[in-house]
Amino acid sequence: MPHYQTITPLLGELRWNQPPSDALLEKQLGWMEFLKKEWQDQTVELRQGYTAICIQWKSPESQIFFKDNLKKFNVRKHQLSDRIWELPVCYEPEYGKDLGSMALIHQMTMHQLIDLHSAAIYRIHFFGFLPGFMYLSGLPEQLNTPRKSIPDPTIEPGSVAIGGAQTGIYPMGSPGGWHIIGKCPVRMFDPKATPPVWAAPGDRVKFEQVDSAELKKLMQNPHFPKNR
Amino acid sequence: MSQDVATATILKSGPGTSIQDLGRMGVACFGIPTSGAMDQKSHVWVNHLLRNQANDATLEISQPGLVIKFDSSTCVTLAGATAVVKLNQIEIQNPTQIPIKAHDILEIGVFKAGARIYLGIRHGFQSAEILGSKSFCKGVTEGSSLSAGDTIAYLRDSDTFPNRNAKAAWSTKWFQTSTVNAIPGPDFDLLHADVRDGLLRRSFTISSLANRMGIQLSELLENTLPELPTNPVFPGTVQLTSGGKLLILLQDAQVTGGYPRILQLDEESRWIMAQKRTGDVLRFKLRN
Repeated sequence: MPHYQTITPLLGELRWNQPPSDALLEKQLGWMEFLKKEWQDQTVELRQGYTAICIQWKSPESQIFFKDNLKKFNVRKHQLSDRIWELPVCYEPEYGKDLGSMALIHQMTMHQLIDLHSAAIYRIHFFGFLPGFMYLSGLPEQLNTPRKSIPDPTIEPGSVAIGGAQTGIYPMGSPGGWHIIGKCPVRMFDPKATPPVWAAPGDRVKFEQVDSAELKKLMQNPHFPKNR
Repeated sequence: MSQDVATATILKSGPGTSIQDLGRMGVACFGIPTSGAMDQKSHVWVNHLLRNQANDATLEISQPGLVIKFDSSTCVTLAGATAVVKLNQIEIQNPTQIPIKAHDILEIGVFKAGARIYLGIRHGFQSAEILGSKSFCKGVTEGSSLSAGDTIAYLRDSDTFPNRNAKAAWSTKWFQTSTVNAIPGPDFDLLHADVRDGLLRRSFTISSLANRMGIQLSELLENTLPELPTNPVFPGTVQLTSGGKLLILLQDAQVTGGYPRILQLDEESRWIMAQKRTGDVLRFKLRN
């Protein structure tokens, strides 16, 4: 059962005192569904993170009523989808400029590093940081790498990177402290599409190795990712 | 009343001129920042003087040097920061409500007080709406700022103000305060008592790292808290970084973050922050 904390009269947070996991995500998505279905006319916006859901309320009364009745709500877990998105990634040093230094840090070959990264299946928990940026769990522990102490001023859109215990794809150019290991030619965010992203929290992602010739072809002809 | 589409042309602009309304709601789940006017008090006021809707689009001007030409008549209003304002090269005293005739050129010069000026126009600027808002935002709208040569559509109207009785003075008193009202954030209780004490007793200086995403304060606060699981943040959230820096998140901030969220500013204090400049000093006052 989550704990509810009122932050301001119009803002509060459901929080779980457990580390992020698929089991927690099932609960969170259950609450997201419940809030969207039963409370939509009383909320302005919902924001999800790894261990919390923030609710912006239209009126202080709604928030008080919600908090007082929290224990009475019967919120079911949301079964996580079995959809897996296949995302092509070119892991060549030309596109993954930190592959060499990462291999050194972890005392493995670049191939071992790439195989580890592309064999794993990652879970999308939520979108944040940048429009269309997916927060993914499932990075093999051997690949955990502290963020760079001095962030790069610009990271190219499509860069696939590792930071701490996380991996992700930069949907657009941005400064960043993550280590770049490859490039993904798929468009992660399209403000003119409805919705502007193609995946949803709970879906999974798998990276498929492609060479630079294939990458160039895909960049010229960007397509919607496949899923299975 | 004719409603033909007219055109305003930016002849000159410093960096940081953008079109803003009240922001993009309901799309944070895709990672999209709220955006919208940084000082919504002034944004809403310029619209009110024109009998516009509060969400109608205004120009947010954060540097001197804007020169804008209007090809048709309308009414414009100014609020927020104060500046030297000229119409067709003649300085206007109390430039709050300005009747505009075809081919008029309006110039925003040196700022006197504050950091952001809002220019409202009758019926609002008619730029494209993306995901429910006209507010500029990097990665979401095509541009993130306006520069020389850009044009913006508006609706031609009479140059007589719809609200003749509203004689508005351009006040800056409300943001000339160093007290910022804050409420404990979700992670406030994790702070060591000494750190909490320092946070509320000391004064802090706005650093030069200040933009629409947020403001970094110069003074460091001792911090032994680890990074936390990434969770939602909002405009007005104050984060404490691992290095002990205080970050006040504002309208274009990312929607989630991993640094402890130690304070949340109330609305009025967010608008006050929007008018602060590098070197200004502030103190946090806790409201429970």
